[in-house]
Amino acid sequence: MNIKKLGVVASTGLLVFSLAACGGADSSSDNGKTQIKFINGFTGGDGAYMTKIVKGFNESQDKYEVVQSQEKDHYTKYKSGNYDLVVIHETNLKTYSKDQLIQDAGPFMKKAGLNKEDFSEAGIQSGSVEDQMYGVPLDIHPLTMFYNKELTKEAPKDYAELKKLGETLQAKDSNLYAFGLPSTGLTTFYFTAAAAQNGINLEKDGYLDFTQEAYADALMQYHDMIFKDNASPDKLGLDGEFQAFMKSADEGAKQAAVTMTGPWYYQAVKEKYGDNLGIGAMPTLFKTAATTGNAHTISVAAAVKDDKVKDGISEFLKYLYTPENLANWAESGQAPSHLATIDLISKDAKKYELAAKNQEQLKSYVAAPRVYQFDEQLRYMNEVVFTKLTNEPNLTKEALMSELEKATKAAKQIAGTQ
Amino acid sequence: MHMSNRSKWFGFIFVVPFLISFLVFWLTPLLYGVWISLHDFRLSVGNNGFIGLKNYVDILTPDTLYYNTFVNALKNTLMFIVLSVPPLVLISLALALLIEHLPKKLKTFFRTVFFLSYSISVTAVSAIYLWLFGANGGFINNLLLKAKMIEAPINWTGDQPYAWLVIVIATVWWTIGFNMLLFVNALDEVDGALYEAADLDGASAWHKFRFITLPEIRNISIFVMITTVIASFNLYGQSLLITRGGPAQSTTSLIMGINTTVFGNNQLGVGSAMALLMGIIMMVITGVQYFASYRSEKEEAPRPLEEKKRFKRAINLGPTNVNQQPAATTDKKEREL
Repeated sequence: MNIKKLGVVASTGLLVFSLAACGGADSSSDNGKTQIKFINGFTGGDGAYMTKIVKGFNESQDKYEVVQSQEKDHYTKYKSGNYDLVVIHETNLKTYSKDQLIQDAGPFMKKAGLNKEDFSEAGIQSGSVEDQMYGVPLDIHPLTMFYNKELTKEAPKDYAELKKLGETLQAKDSNLYAFGLPSTGLTTFYFTAAAAQNGINLEKDGYLDFTQEAYADALMQYHDMIFKDNASPDKLGLDGEFQAFMKSADEGAKQAAVTMTGPWYYQAVKEKYGDNLGIGAMPTLFKTAATTGNAHTISVAAAVKDDKVKDGISEFLKYLYTPENLANWAESGQAPSHLATIDLISKDAKKYELAAKNQEQLKSYVAAPRVYQFDEQLRYMNEVVFTKLTNEPNLTKEALMSELEKATKAAKQIAGTQ
Repeated sequence: MHMSNRSKWFGFIFVVPFLISFLVFWLTPLLYGVWISLHDFRLSVGNNGFIGLKNYVDILTPDTLYYNTFVNALKNTLMFIVLSVPPLVLISLALALLIEHLPKKLKTFFRTVFFLSYSISVTAVSAIYLWLFGANGGFINNLLLKAKMIEAPINWTGDQPYAWLVIVIATVWWTIGFNMLLFVNALDEVDGALYEAADLDGASAWHKFRFITLPEIRNISIFVMITTVIASFNLYGQSLLITRGGPAQSTTSLIMGINTTVFGNNQLGVGSAMALLMGIIMMVITGVQYFASYRSEKEEAPRPLEEKKRFKRAINLGPTNVNQQPAATTDKKEREL
């Protein structure tokens, strides 16, 4: 009898404990302010600038408080955590809206006094899913060219110039190269560049179709840049394009005069090269000029229902999209999509050097295909195909096509999971 | 009678914390995981309905997305176990033996030094090894190039078998302290009188190790072996941070594969099925290890006299002769003895 009673007590205790654990988080903080939990992946040099904006908002508020988390793998944290506001890349927006992880940002924009017309065309595209705004456009970050003025006075404009630069540098020192192609890391930008600059549409019925002759030819050009033209070293590994730019040939390492990388490395390259740092536009590596990259947007979690939190989000957007405040983001090197901020940057192009330069090249910006699970559909390409292109001197087009078939098959299966 | 009920009551109270922990942190998640694996469960939208064993069928159907993810990751994980378990056990034992033979004052110092790396986070360990084994201008490459031991830099993290080598070295350096500590404690427990007796019989260091130390630390050795295999099954941080699962997904571990399935593909149901299959494989391997150890122990245990005789004979014959003894001759000699 006692054991039975004890069992009931233990079960009740367990139930109470479980229910307590399942309870939702309170949105109020100890200081009585309504908290907005904001997560982003700004762990690079740009992180401090977003923190500055958040800090500025919190200091200006007596009703709301933005609690920011900056995580390297912020998507995983977002999916498994309890956040109100999240930074989402344009390539993930379709997936997150389909998976009901985010809600329509339109009402929040309206309350913050923002309209579609306040943003650049590329910005509007970056935040839309089937004509509905699921993300408030923050910036577009194209593949950005930095160059070492000690090794090249001008920014190479196309592959012919890069090749010539490579030949000149190789004649001086066998460890000096024109640029570096990474084996993994930012390879998505290189895949989309090969498609955009050759006028190839990778999207087919909701999946990425890589098995196109023209695309295989374009990718083989990357292979030739290393193994035929010697314009880039081979086997540079993860983030090799940036690492090779930061190395010194004098120390026996392979050094690149030019890097095509993410703008978030701006602080690091500026610190290393100072006045010798040059900023250029993405060169035409293939047939036509086209700039590729990705965009950041700010989305509201689907779970946000509390009116106070909703009001707080609108208030934060209002603060963020004030040119003087968003200019902090431009200072980090990112090119904002907000037109009034773009105006401010263009008036002070010296202060916002990188943002202003990147703004110029956005005229030829070609967004990545909008497919469900874009990153996952590209996983095999990023983790296997580009490594083969940069590591295997004897790779043939036939062998590459076979890999592209595997990548397409995986992409098709992933697209089918929606 | 009253006292007996009371003591039962108290006994039960002492067990309750364990029971609650067991229910909350082990049984409930396990059963919940099994339940999820039988449903079309998405991380984002939750349960889309019961689908029976479909997730398991998908994982085990060749040439499908989940099959490729699971089988490739399983192969890689088994490869890591084969490569990492021998050094993790043998080097830790060697370190423990070295410490055991140090003067008492130095023992604590070196025990702490060797254990220190175990307290470092995997992120820091990976950063150190990435710097050491960087393909372009890394410390090891620079060293080898300057010493003219290599002509061109080695792509340590981007080519095989080097990528495995770096992961194994990083793992050994990082975790060796734990196994070593277990062996040190086991060696402390060995009765010193046995070594004194062996010394009187003129036993060599090898004979003492083979016939006294190894049998005396047998139980802890089996424990270290089993726990090291389980730990190696859980490879994640090192391959994620040092090689990113590359080159060409050749160091993508099971946990990485499950992580991609759940958080990348949004398939919590399939990921749970993968995790359960992984658990079953681990249990089978652990069971085989345990059974093999238990069986050999059973076979050897009832023959302490024979072991003693073998030891005496080995001392008289020396190591070369022991190894060269044909089995039949040994049996015959044993019978004669």
